[in-house]
Amino acid sequence: MPPVSQSIRVRVLFFGRLKEIAGRTQESLDLAPDSDIESLFARYASRYPELQQYRSSVVASCNQEFAPWDTVLRAGDEVAFLPPVSGG
Amino acid sequence: MTSSSTDITLLVHEPIDPVGLAAYVRGNSDGAMVVFDGFVRDHSKNRRTLYLEYEAYEPMALAKIQEIAAHIHNHFSIHRVAMVHRLGRLEIGQTSVYIAVSSAHRAAAFDACRYAIDTLKRTVPIWKKEYFEDGSVWADGELPPLPSATSTVKPAS
Repeated sequence: MPPVSQSIRVRVLFFGRLKEIAGRTQESLDLAPDSDIESLFARYASRYPELQQYRSSVVASCNQEFAPWDTVLRAGDEVAFLPPVSGG
Repeated sequence: MTSSSTDITLLVHEPIDPVGLAAYVRGNSDGAMVVFDGFVRDHSKNRRTLYLEYEAYEPMALAKIQEIAAHIHNHFSIHRVAMVHRLGRLEIGQTSVYIAVSSAHRAAAFDACRYAIDTLKRTVPIWKKEYFEDGSVWADGELPPLPSATSTVKPAS
């Protein structure tokens, strides 16, 4: 049997206060196949517990389109966590 | 769907040039131009603002601005559109967002310009941090609609 799964690499971007909490604007991360955006956020929330309180006020994007939290990620995807927008 | 090739849609890090944009947008076939000039206010919730800093998810923000421009072309009888948002540090009174829409008759330009700024503020990934004498805060923002709702904002086919 070949390995059950190979990890996939995605790029993750943070903006606004999320960037400050995570202490970075972006990083590349290896995930288990079939990971979704929700599980990706949970992974960061366990690393940076302060993130969890913002979960309900964050919108995610995948490849620069707003994306549901259950979006399954593929290798090479660019995911961003977006706080409430305040342009204008 | 892309916006009209004659539109101007930009994110800039330098001061916005309202005079040049207005001159570009208004044409001889038009009878009206509506402009929204958003600029930095000197206070926020009873605190004196020193300056603002804007940041964006730039490629996505530009794409969303272009979607808005395309949408108003499809839904209003307008001629040209300019939508420009500035990023970085802005001082009091400086223009942060400038939208100009020209049309043959005023109603379409008013409606399209209002739609454009309202939709920009709700859906374009740009953030503003407010600096005060005693600290700074990320401005309260709006949560963009969920993807199912967002799809209805895209231009109708």
